[in-house]
Amino acid sequence: MHSPPQRAAPLLSADGVSLAFKGVRALHEVSFAVGPGELFSIIGPNGAGKTSLLNCVSGRYQPTRGTLDFDGRRISGRSPAIRANLGIARTFQNLALFAHMSVIDNVKVGRHHLMKKGFLAGGLYWIGGARVEEYHHHAAVEEVIDFLEIQHIRNRQAGTLPYGLRKRVELARAVAARPRLLLLDEPMAGMNLEEKEDMARYIHDLSREWAMTIVMIEHDMGVVMDMSDRVMVLNFGEKIAEGTPAEVGANPQVRAAYLGDDA
Amino acid sequence: MKRTLAHQLAANAAQWPDAVAAREKTLGIWRTFTWSQCLRDTRALALGLRALGVQPGDVVALLGQNRPEWVFGQIAAHACGALSLGIYRDSLAEEVGFLIEFCQARVVIAEDEEQVDKLLELGERTAAVRHILYGDPRGMWKHQGERGDRRLMTLAGVLELGEQALRADPTAWDALLDAMDPDAVAVLCTTSGTTSNPKPAMLTSSGFLDHAAEMLKIDPRMPEDEYVSVLPLPWIGEQVALGQWLLARFKFNFCEEAETTAADMREIGPTAMLWPPRAWEAMAADVKARMMDASWIKRAMYAFGLKLGYRALDHGRRSWISQVLVGRALRDRLGFTRLASATTGGAPLGPDVFRFFRAIGVPLRQVYGQTELCGVYVMHRTTGPVDLNTVGKPLDYVQLRIENPDRNGLGEIVVRHPGMFTGYYRNDEATRAELRDGWMHTGDAGILREDGELVVVDRVRDLAHLANGDAFSPQFIENKLKFSPYVGECVTLGHGREFVTALLCIRFSIVSKWAENNRLAFTTYSDLAARPEVAELMRHEVEAINAQLPPAQRVRRFFLLYKELDPDDGELTRTRKVRRNTINERYGFLIEALYEGRETVEVDTTITLADGRKSRIVTRLKLQTPAAEPTRRQPIQEALA
Repeated sequence: MHSPPQRAAPLLSADGVSLAFKGVRALHEVSFAVGPGELFSIIGPNGAGKTSLLNCVSGRYQPTRGTLDFDGRRISGRSPAIRANLGIARTFQNLALFAHMSVIDNVKVGRHHLMKKGFLAGGLYWIGGARVEEYHHHAAVEEVIDFLEIQHIRNRQAGTLPYGLRKRVELARAVAARPRLLLLDEPMAGMNLEEKEDMARYIHDLSREWAMTIVMIEHDMGVVMDMSDRVMVLNFGEKIAEGTPAEVGANPQVRAAYLGDDA
Repeated sequence: MKRTLAHQLAANAAQWPDAVAAREKTLGIWRTFTWSQCLRDTRALALGLRALGVQPGDVVALLGQNRPEWVFGQIAAHACGALSLGIYRDSLAEEVGFLIEFCQARVVIAEDEEQVDKLLELGERTAAVRHILYGDPRGMWKHQGERGDRRLMTLAGVLELGEQALRADPTAWDALLDAMDPDAVAVLCTTSGTTSNPKPAMLTSSGFLDHAAEMLKIDPRMPEDEYVSVLPLPWIGEQVALGQWLLARFKFNFCEEAETTAADMREIGPTAMLWPPRAWEAMAADVKARMMDASWIKRAMYAFGLKLGYRALDHGRRSWISQVLVGRALRDRLGFTRLASATTGGAPLGPDVFRFFRAIGVPLRQVYGQTELCGVYVMHRTTGPVDLNTVGKPLDYVQLRIENPDRNGLGEIVVRHPGMFTGYYRNDEATRAELRDGWMHTGDAGILREDGELVVVDRVRDLAHLANGDAFSPQFIENKLKFSPYVGECVTLGHGREFVTALLCIRFSIVSKWAENNRLAFTTYSDLAARPEVAELMRHEVEAINAQLPPAQRVRRFFLLYKELDPDDGELTRTRKVRRNTINERYGFLIEALYEGRETVEVDTTITLADGRKSRIVTRLKLQTPAAEPTRRQPIQEALA
């Protein structure tokens, strides 16, 4: 099996990240590091703080204490837009597509922040260079559509698609920006077996073929244990384990957190 | 000029270098290939194959979806003096293994990871294969590195080898062409294998092109014509289309993915198509199913327009009201607006489907042929009335006679013509059995009418007789049954028995929608098929069809099967023809129950699902006895509307 460069300088590192909502402690002193090209999974029971942690990385939340670094730059305290420009993209646990737009337009949204031409140049479509830029972005979007095999629905309205396909479109939108770090929040929730297998294949290929660094929250243990390079376990906002899937699977604390006693 | 595909391509490129030869949709855009680009790629591929050691007489197998590289690969193989062998891309590893091993293929041009995996899975059986070339690098990372298979190579790499060879020796390509023998075997085309493993038929370059030219005399094509390559290239019909492409220089279009075919066809608007009945039937059924979902006003327009269309058709006219109301819109929706030559062959087409397409203004014609005879050699003419009961007249250079006719003139169709095959590859026994004194014994039963039109009834050995001697053709009844949108597959029985019975499969996509609309809960296919409401529905359908059949051919009893018939289980061929022997073996207990008249049959069996998992099915089948006498009851889809 392929083993990513472990000891290279981490792409993403969190140091003592804590998050509290008016006294409710969501995260407590969580530290971890994700190397370039790694597929890093975060697991834990409901309410463990997984999505909160992902939100801290994407910029949706600001941690109350601790720091986050991306590619050697401090990102805690920066806005989500700045983090997106640095190359961080995400998908959501509950779908967040533009239901009335076509699939291809939804995917194009993923490249919006990469567009250089502004309002004025757009108005001068042919002479302002906006057309050339659009060609370039369109080609990038089509590559993603090809990669995720959604050619047959590229002109369909996103809201009319079945759930499994909408999830794939959402992944396409996140990937369209060609991010250096991809955050996936339960990419396989609510899918049937076949859809799950497909999605696992796409994530795997993104990681191996496009060498994308991926941080994934997922509840399906089979998926997590099979695909991840490393796994981190959260419980009640605290990190209780981190390591290869085999190490984490053998950890008694993890078993306890999942089974609810010290069996 | 020598009569080979490679020479023809070179000639086209010399004369019309910048004319569009082909298009392929990639990343959402139709990309064009001019004749000179086609030649450039084919030339590089041929020299690359030669550099890899492909010698005259070797076999180059092609495995994948219809793509320009597939076509270039075939012509390039011929240019090396090698034989091209197309393998259906949805073949199981086992079937691929048989063909590769049997033909001792030297090189395999595989499309992508899926096909490469199939080949590698075969292990020792592909020992003769020296090189596996693949076009799409997606997912191939797992084969790279020292643990990967040494024989793997990208097509781009082979093209580069060829370019180098050409730079080193600019006459290399001409030398290849000069060494070609147009009368040598170039194309291996597998027969569909209804009864056994496929047998590759050997076709020579010159014979192949002569035959394509002979077909063009009857059904000409122009350089501005558009063709969409939808059916698998290993199929003889698509192979001959390839020959016609080189001769008539129409535009060959390749779809993006199998799933986008319908949309891509509509974008191109082909002017010529040859599809087997199955595809036309599926399309007709799809139109009907979609109409069931339409608003009442559209349904009314559709019913009225179609009625006018049928009536006009019966009087040999066209109804412009019908065309305005239904025909034009439907043709546009299906991508048939410019369709001038629409043909069907490979199996008999139900007259109802035939009438349907004619009524909406698609000039559907029947053709008839076999792989061994280089595809189509009998066809309805493009002008004049078309008789639905015949498949048309033989091509001018074809000799056709009926052997051992009975008192009605029904006998075996026996044919010869200059473009036919020279025998089966490495199978002299089969060649001797079917090719006697230069005549191909087709095994089809037919009547050659006095006006020169051929009527094909069925396979000679598939003609069945009831106990009282009444002849019937199971396939004819099956086609009738399958015209119902609710019937997926079916098998009719009755040879040596008192009456005709059937095993039916529901068409899951449509019956499940029907169940939804009728608030009928179900879980799986087997569960849905076992519902009494569904049985009632299917009984209605069979009764409506019985009313159109002569009494001896009516279905008296049937069972609804608990699973779909599937090529993966060996019940259908890859072209979806029923394998009767397998059915008789596997469902013998049901057939006995049909004739004993047992009211219920307990089934406890294990089936293998598409993904390889096994699933146990425990169910109880109930005997269905549709009324044999025509009743005044309406067909159910109208009753529901």
